[in-house]
Amino acid sequence: MKIISHSYLNRFGAFVNGDLILSGQEDNFLKQYFVQLEIDYPKFYKMDSLSKSAFLGDFLLKNTLQNMVNIDEKLQLIFANSTSSQQTDLKFIESYTFKKNPSPSLFVYTLPNILAGEIAIKHKWYGENIFFILTKFDSKFFIDQIEMSFLRGNEYCMCGWIEMNGLEEEECFMFVVSKTVHWVENQEASNELNQILNNYRNNGIKRTIKSSNN
Amino acid sequence: MGKQAKLEGSLKCYLKYGALISPLGQNVQDHYTAFCDNKSGINQELGTGFNSEDLFLSKIKHLKNSRYNSLLELACKKIVEAYSSSFLQSEKTGIIVSTTKANLEVLPSDTFASTISIIKNILNPYHEPIIISNACISGVIAINTAADYIRSSKFDQVIIIGIDVLSDFIVYGFQSLFALSNEACRPFDKNRKGITLGEACGILIMKNTLDDDFSVEYLAGATSNDANHISGPSRSGEGLFRAVTKAIERSGVSKKEIDFISSHGTATLYNDEMESVALHRLELNHIPTNSFKGYFGHTLGAAGIIETIMCMVSMEKSVLFKSIGFSEVGTTETLNIVSENSNVDLEIVLKTASGFGGGNAALLLKQVK
Repeated sequence: MKIISHSYLNRFGAFVNGDLILSGQEDNFLKQYFVQLEIDYPKFYKMDSLSKSAFLGDFLLKNTLQNMVNIDEKLQLIFANSTSSQQTDLKFIESYTFKKNPSPSLFVYTLPNILAGEIAIKHKWYGENIFFILTKFDSKFFIDQIEMSFLRGNEYCMCGWIEMNGLEEEECFMFVVSKTVHWVENQEASNELNQILNNYRNNGIKRTIKSSNN
Repeated sequence: MGKQAKLEGSLKCYLKYGALISPLGQNVQDHYTAFCDNKSGINQELGTGFNSEDLFLSKIKHLKNSRYNSLLELACKKIVEAYSSSFLQSEKTGIIVSTTKANLEVLPSDTFASTISIIKNILNPYHEPIIISNACISGVIAINTAADYIRSSKFDQVIIIGIDVLSDFIVYGFQSLFALSNEACRPFDKNRKGITLGEACGILIMKNTLDDDFSVEYLAGATSNDANHISGPSRSGEGLFRAVTKAIERSGVSKKEIDFISSHGTATLYNDEMESVALHRLELNHIPTNSFKGYFGHTLGAAGIIETIMCMVSMEKSVLFKSIGFSEVGTTETLNIVSENSNVDLEIVLKTASGFGGGNAALLLKQVK
């Protein structure tokens, strides 16, 4: 397997393969990136933050996806986070406790795997999907899942660790792994994945210090 | 290709009963008895709706607060009674949990924390439990994932737990979508009016070896996305068609060998219609098919596990259970819905599930001779 591309976004910036593409300037940074990337997809505005960030993370990877064969059937989506759809869960509870009107448009986003559905719809991808709840990002766990997905016959995996809970640790880390390109051993791939995410997180922290000094 | 051949060929996976708790009983035997009498766990529960409507639910009586935690504790204790600590604590034993919402009562705290802590306290496993939350197909995916772990030699045995409980959150949510029936659900029937929600916990044990207990062989499974809508099924049944096709390919059996289909059958107009279209496209519409939702209601993350357990009961006892609530064909494509309990030997069984997010999943089981 080989990690062929990755993206990262949080309130401080949007990155592709380690490069800063956009700086986060607004509180509503997901909307800001969507507008600046000039994406034409009105359904974006209906999504919750989890789905919005996954949608953007996927969009940032679009150049990689162009060269893949049978991607609509042979790409598996593997996602995980620790807080599920908790932010939307709380909004839905608010809709029936305070507003006395349970909101169906919020309720449909109270499942974390909806973000995989949004990506599948965007691309017309019919491949396999799975969503895990993990206490923290675990590179070895992802690599194990990818290995097992390839053993089942899939050729590519798009994976993501997405935490969009309104708290400080908000981040959307996504990466694409190919079965066939330059075989890298699992341990090596796992180490590489940790390094990629740590670099992104450190960039984020540096930007935090910079912006708090201003 | 070499690796895939190894995966499909070398390590076999066997499923056996772990635990089953629902309004119909505290173990698998209770459920067999209830199903023989076509007894349903669904009852009218007064004032449970958002505007205090009287709803039909499949609700476990006498469950202590917090309901989720006490149900999970009860089920885990049954596993401790049945299995040695060396089995439970082995480095080669994994635990996979299927749940959509876990313990919602603790929001805004971590709703999944008690799942981990209860399992750790009671089962004392070597590895951290793996939680899958993928809407209504979570249970079938959990079984498929357990097989992945066994076939890649990461584990020799996996304890697969499916659990969800009723809550205002879930009830009001499905009410807001106008998806709930005002009577006990009637899957595939002409007069079906929607879902009846339920709660349950089911546990399966998957192993790479056979022992003396009744077991079935797990052949293969697959998932596929509809790529169509996040909360409505595809009209063409595309995802279900592809998931079943892929599962059959991976299993190495032919379509003609399938003896029984345990469908998702939620009893919404659109879901059951979609399933009829998909099964027709698969040329499986003549195979005896039922939905267990008339017995359990829709138990979300537990559904795939508890319905697979009842597939195993059907295989063990050579009995097809009537699809409760069905009397008249109500889908574009006519399915062969089981209308009376009947005695039939079952060799190969197909279990399917479909859910929000456009997910579809399938798995195939085989009788062990």
